[in-house]
Amino acid sequence: MKIVHKINLANISVIILIALTGFFAFQNINLVLTKLRFTEIADDLNTSFLEMRLSEKNFFLYGDTSALSEIGSKIDESMTTLESVGPDIIKAIGRENLGELKACLGRYRIEVETLKGKGAQGVEMQAGLRETGQQLREFSDRISRLERIKVNSIISRSKRQLFSSLCFILITAIGLRYMTFFNILRSLKQIKNVVASISQGDFRAIETEIPRDELGTVMTAINAMSMELENREEQIIQSKKLASLGILTAGVAHELGNPLNNISMIAQTYMEVYENLSKEDRIDFMVKIEEETQRIKHIVDNLLDFSRPKKSRNTVADLNGVVLRSFKLVQNMIHVCNVEARLDLAEDLPAVLIDEGQIVEVLINLMTNSLQASSPGARLTVTTSCLPENEFLRITLEDTGKGIPQELLDHVFDPFFTTKGNSGTGLGLFVSYGIVKNHQGTLKVSSKEGVGTCFTIELPVYNPNIKEEA
Amino acid sequence: MSPHRIMVIDDESIVGKMLKAVLEQEGYEVEPFLSAAPALARLKEEKFDVVITDLKMKGIDGMEVLHTVKKESADTKVIMITAFASLDSAVEALRGKVDDFFPKPVKIKDLKACIERLLGA
Repeated sequence: MKIVHKINLANISVIILIALTGFFAFQNINLVLTKLRFTEIADDLNTSFLEMRLSEKNFFLYGDTSALSEIGSKIDESMTTLESVGPDIIKAIGRENLGELKACLGRYRIEVETLKGKGAQGVEMQAGLRETGQQLREFSDRISRLERIKVNSIISRSKRQLFSSLCFILITAIGLRYMTFFNILRSLKQIKNVVASISQGDFRAIETEIPRDELGTVMTAINAMSMELENREEQIIQSKKLASLGILTAGVAHELGNPLNNISMIAQTYMEVYENLSKEDRIDFMVKIEEETQRIKHIVDNLLDFSRPKKSRNTVADLNGVVLRSFKLVQNMIHVCNVEARLDLAEDLPAVLIDEGQIVEVLINLMTNSLQASSPGARLTVTTSCLPENEFLRITLEDTGKGIPQELLDHVFDPFFTTKGNSGTGLGLFVSYGIVKNHQGTLKVSSKEGVGTCFTIELPVYNPNIKEEA
Repeated sequence: MSPHRIMVIDDESIVGKMLKAVLEQEGYEVEPFLSAAPALARLKEEKFDVVITDLKMKGIDGMEVLHTVKKESADTKVIMITAFASLDSAVEALRGKVDDFFPKPVKIKDLKACIERLLGA
């Protein structure tokens, strides 16, 4: 159900409940009013009967027969009243009671008429008349009392109904709102979590049941987007791999092209000028061919080093010790370049599981690069630290050298990329990157031309619970 | 008649050494250079008949050498050699009015024939 429908339904439910409650309250008030009107009639009857009894008393005390005539007219009045409220009174006191009342009145009338005929001798009939009068009084009293009790009970019932309806309306309103908003908030939370994961590169979908409302539509769209992004990411990775392969191939072709050309030229020259060459010259030519062959072998070895997963000799090591060892190995170069090098090592670092030789190679590589890019008087700072949550150790190498132009920064880890011309193979950073990656670590670079360069290595802390794969 | 003068510019020292050995046997006078800057300075001092230059070099590259040489001494012939044997660089080099273009590895016989042809023309 759509959210807008849910909200409408909740509102309509509450309105219907309020209307029903009002309707019942109105009904009850009407009932009370009817009963009150009837109670008034009962009171009138009661008054009439009271007056009849007063006249009756006057007759017996003073023998005044006009009092009997008054009683007669009162009886007629009462009968008219009873006839006028006919159906209402049946409803209120029941047909039997009404019959009894009418019979009682009739009896009273007969007795009054008889008495009228007998005059003063009718005193002996006093008891009978009094009894019937008394019955009439009691009857009307009972009707009044019964009606009051009924009115009271209707009012208390209305009170109860109103109270329970109010509670019900409140609970329903709160419940419906809560359910609606609880669902909306839950869906929003799921959307937030998944979007956060996607932004971190974890392309997952919302896996819970998708509601059939507007948020469900949003969730479906996000799932589709996530899938699409994942596909694109794969395509990008694929094309990057192809691009790397292209760079690698072009690099290999160019790197091998030079020594191959040299060998070819030496051989051709040898044949061309053979006659004029001394024995020493000929040997020199062969030595040069051998040198160029070694050069090719070196390039191929470097490539194989990178592509073939090396059997690493990982040991649990103190990273500060490894940094210190690498630092000592470049001391001479630091001195020659006249660079102010400084170590800033964090104390009590947790151990790492590394191939010390390989990490030393990486550090020397990075420090050598920094030193070569630095003018005399520049600074090189090597720092170690532990990242929060104790999962990774970080080494930073920050120099105040000439920096790397922004457009070249993306290529520093590419194979055969070098800014050092023929004095660099362009494989140092490429190989270093591979080594750090094999250690489940990361190697990053940031640089500003004219300000300096910062290389950051992050290596996972040794966890004895994780067994290293053999 | 004084011998023709040939300049070789290539950051691979062997290229210069070998071409010097071969071409001097043919009677040319050869001067090898490892980078373009000193070579161009030398060109200002003396006239060369042929300049053989590598395309890809650190600092001043082969294309720049070609333009400078042609600007300062229009009748000096320029031969380009490069390890990049791709069509793109060849087309670009030729468009810059290079006199000939050789991919590495260079066939010395072809190079000699080319020099003879350029000097004879």
